[in-house]
Amino acid sequence: MRRVLIIDDEDDIREVAGLSLEATRDWQILTASSGRQGIKVAAAEKPDAILMDVMMPEMDGPTTFKQLQLNPETQGIPVVLLTAKVQGVDQRRFAGLGVAGILFKPFDPLELAQQLADALGWRD
Amino acid sequence: MSLILLILVCVGLAISLCVVWIRANTAIRRLRAQLDAATEAQRNKDSLLVQRSELDKIKDEFISTVSHELRTPLTSIRGALGLLSAGLMGNVDAKAQNLLRIAVTNTDRLIRLINDILDIERMESGRATLHVRRINLLELVQQGIDTMTAMADSAGVALVLNVTAPSEAVALDGDSDRILQVITNLLSNAIKFSPPKTTVNIHIEADPDWLTLRVSDEGRGIPVDKLETIFDRFQQVEASDARQKGGTGLGLAICKTIVQQHNGSIWAESNVQQKRGPGASLIVAFPRLARQHTSTVPAQQRSSRPAPSRGTIIVCDDDASIRTIVSEHLERHGYRILEADCGERAIALASANSTQAILLDLYMPGLSGWETLQRLKDSKDTAKIPVVILSVLSPSAGRVKDSPKQLIPQGWVQKPFEEERLLAELSRVLHSGNGSSHVLLVEDDADLAAVIIAGFEEAQVRVDHANTRQSAMDQCRLDRPALIILDLTLPDGDGFSLVEWLRQQPDLLSLPLVVYSGRDLADAEMSQLRLGPTDFLTKGRVPPSEVEELVLNIVQHLRPATPRPKVSQRP
Repeated sequence: MRRVLIIDDEDDIREVAGLSLEATRDWQILTASSGRQGIKVAAAEKPDAILMDVMMPEMDGPTTFKQLQLNPETQGIPVVLLTAKVQGVDQRRFAGLGVAGILFKPFDPLELAQQLADALGWRD
Repeated sequence: MSLILLILVCVGLAISLCVVWIRANTAIRRLRAQLDAATEAQRNKDSLLVQRSELDKIKDEFISTVSHELRTPLTSIRGALGLLSAGLMGNVDAKAQNLLRIAVTNTDRLIRLINDILDIERMESGRATLHVRRINLLELVQQGIDTMTAMADSAGVALVLNVTAPSEAVALDGDSDRILQVITNLLSNAIKFSPPKTTVNIHIEADPDWLTLRVSDEGRGIPVDKLETIFDRFQQVEASDARQKGGTGLGLAICKTIVQQHNGSIWAESNVQQKRGPGASLIVAFPRLARQHTSTVPAQQRSSRPAPSRGTIIVCDDDASIRTIVSEHLERHGYRILEADCGERAIALASANSTQAILLDLYMPGLSGWETLQRLKDSKDTAKIPVVILSVLSPSAGRVKDSPKQLIPQGWVQKPFEEERLLAELSRVLHSGNGSSHVLLVEDDADLAAVIIAGFEEAQVRVDHANTRQSAMDQCRLDRPALIILDLTLPDGDGFSLVEWLRQQPDLLSLPLVVYSGRDLADAEMSQLRLGPTDFLTKGRVPPSEVEELVLNIVQHLRPATPRPKVSQRP
């Protein structure tokens, strides 16, 4: 069973995104409400992928991603950003980070799992 | 008596002094007032610019924040509604299902509306830069059709593509994302107004100058009096269209803005009026090539074929390896090179050949560089040939040390030198005699342009203004400027692509450039922007007055030297 960690500071988004993934795929969902917590959960649980918000207080998505890359335990976990920032300049900046993909808010709950699987190259 | 006379004279003198003093004081006060006013005006200009730059920054942040803050709650709402209406959280009865469908549809509309408003705001404020590159219109149209097929299928509408030009003939310079946005907007519009079982026809036509895209539907058509207004914001054929058709009322306004940014045109035709049957056609015409006048020969190929027109340069240096390096650099850029290993040889070559410039080393056995320069200037055959000193000394050190005061070379390149520096200095020297001292200001912000131009009025420097990339290219072709002041954000491309074009033009590639950008640039960006001698100034940090100062300094340097008294002999 695939395990996906959702990192987002918005409780509602974690809930809806988690439900969307669980309802459409047989995946196990882990959640974290901040970058810092996300790093801990990722190191302890070694999920198959991380779906992470960009704009979070204290530690934003790109910074969290860099931290995850620095840690040998978590650097192999693919990260997909989920962002409400859709301006071209932001997109290019995120793409330069080396993440596995970028998905946009608002998302269609029925499409989210497929989009995530496509970004990660998961075919099952 | 004489005492009275003396007193009278003294009184007269005192009165005269008083008058003079009062007049002088008045004049000083007036001058001081003028000075204060001028200083105040300058301060206002500077602070206006700083304010504008800060305002732009605040606006950008605002848009970014609004877009984020609006999308975040919508994400939760849309997600929750989607899960419920899909029945994934358990079954809901038909009435509730209908209510959920309404909520989902309207949430989607709200999301589109927010996206469109943000889009149009960014584009019209000029902050959404176009990323212009060579693109294929046919490929984009096919991509647009793929995107819209699902919508067309559910509306029972067929999308049919007709192309009357070969694939390679439909290339244009444009921003692919933006043009794709135009295509999908037009298709979505046509599908919305098409009755089921009808066809939306898409035509691409090419002529030497324009690419035309025509999207025709078989719907109710557009009344003649609405053919123009439908491109305005929230202007639709029927006021209720946005609600009924799920549109935002901004789609065509966005198309118009994008097309205009590409220097194209967009218009609507009534098919009935044109006797094409029912429905309406929306037509977009893009100029095929923003760079149609430029050579298509890649830079590398071109530079390997020297263009004899660039003229003959004498390289005078006793060090053979320096001569070889310089020759290689210059020949690659189309100059003909004559090598001289000593001053005497250089003078002989210059007398016998029509020479555009001489590159001269200072330390040579036999005649030194200064002695050679003196002899060149003394002979009427060679006096007018510009000389560029090529020396390990810096210009100030070299001049102070042992140059005769009257001898002033036209240029100076310090060794070790970079190819770019050498070419720029040579080009500066070669072009300084053509009398061109006008500056081209490439700036899309009319207010800022006015502020900068006003600053040059007193200095009697002509400033031509271009507000688009295309107009800058046209003006450069028409009349080579002495210098370009460049803003990076342009409505139809950016400063980077303009510099790229300039670099491909043999007579423009070493123009002095002052980049006056809205933000600090990274090193990599700076190297992409280097032309001739290039300076980088940041709006907000550097006021326009400093830009003026810098530009005037460069332009004064470029002007033909004022005639000097003839020097008879070295002291």
